[in-house]
Amino acid sequence: MAKGGTATDLALSGLTKVFGTATVVDRVTLRIAAGEMVALLGPSGCGKTTTLRMIAGLVEPTKGEVLIGGYRITRVPSHRRNIGMLFQNYALFPHMSVAANVAFGLQMRGMAKALIQPKVASALALVQLGDYAERLPSALSGGQQQRVALARAIVIEPSLLLLDEPLGALDRNLRESMQVEIRQIQQRLGITAVMVTHDQEEALTMADRVVIMRDGRLEQVGTPAEIYSRPTSRFVASFIGASNFLRGSVAGRNGDQLQVQLASGGQVLVPSADGGRSEILISVRPEAVGLRRIGETPSASESGTPATVQQIVYRGQTTHVHMRLDDGEPFVAFLPNRQGEQAKTFSAGEKVWASWSSQSNWPVADS
Amino acid sequence: MAGRLSGGGGAAVYTMAAATLVFVAAPLAVVVALSFSEGALATFPPVGFTTAWYEAVIANEEFQNAFMVSVLLALAATATSFALGVPAAYALDRWPVPGARMIEAALLSPFILPILITGLALLQFLAAMKMRDAAVNLFIGHVLVTLPYLVRTVTASLKQVDRSLEEAATTLGAAPWQVFWRVTVPQIVPGIAAGCLFAFMVSFDDFPISFWLGDAETMPLPIFLHSSMSKVFDPSITAMSSLMILTGILAVIGLEKLVGLRRAMSV
Ligand SMILES: Nc1ncnc2c1ncn2[C@@H]1O[C@H](COP(=O)(O)OP(=O)(O)OP(=O)(O)O)[C@@H](O)[C@H]1O
Ligand SMILES: [Mg+2]
Repeated sequence: MAKGGTATDLALSGLTKVFGTATVVDRVTLRIAAGEMVALLGPSGCGKTTTLRMIAGLVEPTKGEVLIGGYRITRVPSHRRNIGMLFQNYALFPHMSVAANVAFGLQMRGMAKALIQPKVASALALVQLGDYAERLPSALSGGQQQRVALARAIVIEPSLLLLDEPLGALDRNLRESMQVEIRQIQQRLGITAVMVTHDQEEALTMADRVVIMRDGRLEQVGTPAEIYSRPTSRFVASFIGASNFLRGSVAGRNGDQLQVQLASGGQVLVPSADGGRSEILISVRPEAVGLRRIGETPSASESGTPATVQQIVYRGQTTHVHMRLDDGEPFVAFLPNRQGEQAKTFSAGEKVWASWSSQSNWPVADS
Repeated sequence: MAGRLSGGGGAAVYTMAAATLVFVAAPLAVVVALSFSEGALATFPPVGFTTAWYEAVIANEEFQNAFMVSVLLALAATATSFALGVPAAYALDRWPVPGARMIEAALLSPFILPILITGLALLQFLAAMKMRDAAVNLFIGHVLVTLPYLVRTVTASLKQVDRSLEEAATTLGAAPWQVFWRVTVPQIVPGIAAGCLFAFMVSFDDFPISFWLGDAETMPLPIFLHSSMSKVFDPSITAMSSLMILTGILAVIGLEKLVGLRRAMSV
């Protein structure tokens, strides 16, 4: 299948959905560039599926607009939107063969049989299911079924590919290979795509940009690296990966950095544009943290705080050391097991000095 | 699908199934056995073997007439219930029809109301409307009692339809009517078939409605059977009964061939 060259951009403007008295999606405004893949990520019930279904035309927005390629399609019925959609349960037509499933969208477009056949064959070849054309969906594995659904969705050369937890029903290994496969096909065909997931790894792996949703609103939008390394809020920092949070008060300013006195003891430097705050919450990723024995001198570029080891959990690649700070807050370090079980040198109850590069300090909103 | 039942619950289920078989099938077997009896009266046990009763019954014009009335009536009632019941069930399940619950309850009410009373009420109503044609009256009465079966089975299978299939079809460009024919209908065919079978058998078997609405010319088989029986109780009665049983079995086999009984009954 050739790259259609028809990639279109998508814009959501003030998109809102109210069910009864509950505002499930709240003024979502978002631009998605042609050929871009965006993942909507958030906890259960935050409105991801509802947002996706409004884009698909399966749910009517209470307010706001959906624009594809600059055209308002908010009032266009779903079957005229030229959208390919993948469902968590695959939604293959059980009474039709694999080939008939893939041909369905082309038939609905009134395409001649002679034209449909080669398109179906190449779509199935693209998902490596050329030999399965005559089977019924029930005779395929979950992964194969979702690949058929993918072929069925892209064969119509959709303006938009929508995926609602497409891999949620697959086991972990298969999920990872399907993530790569779907992503490759999406990039090769240059289709604009919106994916819903509550699996953060999936979002980080597959998407050009990640949209964190919370209670129907956009919490943060950015590339996977931005979201991970510069979360704006405590919510985002703890939703994407794991994070430690340190409370502190601003003691002074040092260039574009704030000097912060930690509640748990110790002083750290924090990058910050706004210096007006006196209280601050700092996010520190557990993999950035190293442990020293009390008494070993920390280097000047390091931040640190004293802590008491509580529990040590061996996890293969890493060892998780769970600690408690002097102000009672939990703190965790993921120590790499590069040279065997490093963390074994520490023991529960031991007082340690947790330290990390000052660049790993990131201020977040306490919400 | 059919897991083996074990333990006390299993034993109870097997016992109940066996009891049902004995009480339903055994009397029917007696009827069939008697229909081949050479005796002059339909009394158990049968004596000898003859097909003379069948020959007599099949040659009997009154029987032929009653059988035709019943078959045509059942087919007409089933077809009409199908034509009315499928759209009604679909609309009730999928569209925001005001008072949908009330309408559904009304459509299903013949299930609950005593049919004998329904028939009597209908007779008085039709008489008041000056409708004298027994064939038309029977048709109306039978549709009344067969329609609920279609509404019920089709509604039940619509509730089981995987809505994401319909949504997938929609996003692929299918207009609502195309979604209905290409995706919804294939999924509810078993329910429709089961509903039609029930409707056919209920009509073919109906006594309480036909009792009020039939007349001497348009007399469905169960009424004919009953009136013959009050004249003489010879094995021709059991031969007629056996032919009715056979019709029922043929309908079930037909359904099995068409859609598979297991699928049809799993509504
Ligand atoms: N048709 C509906 N009527 C009423 N409430 C609804 C309807 N559809 C969704 N909701 C509610 O809207 C909220 C958001 O639902 P939505 O399915 O969009 O969440 P989600 O982010 O996709 O969650 P999940 O990760 O569990 O799939 C939920 O509280 C849900 O109960
Ligand atoms: Mg969802």
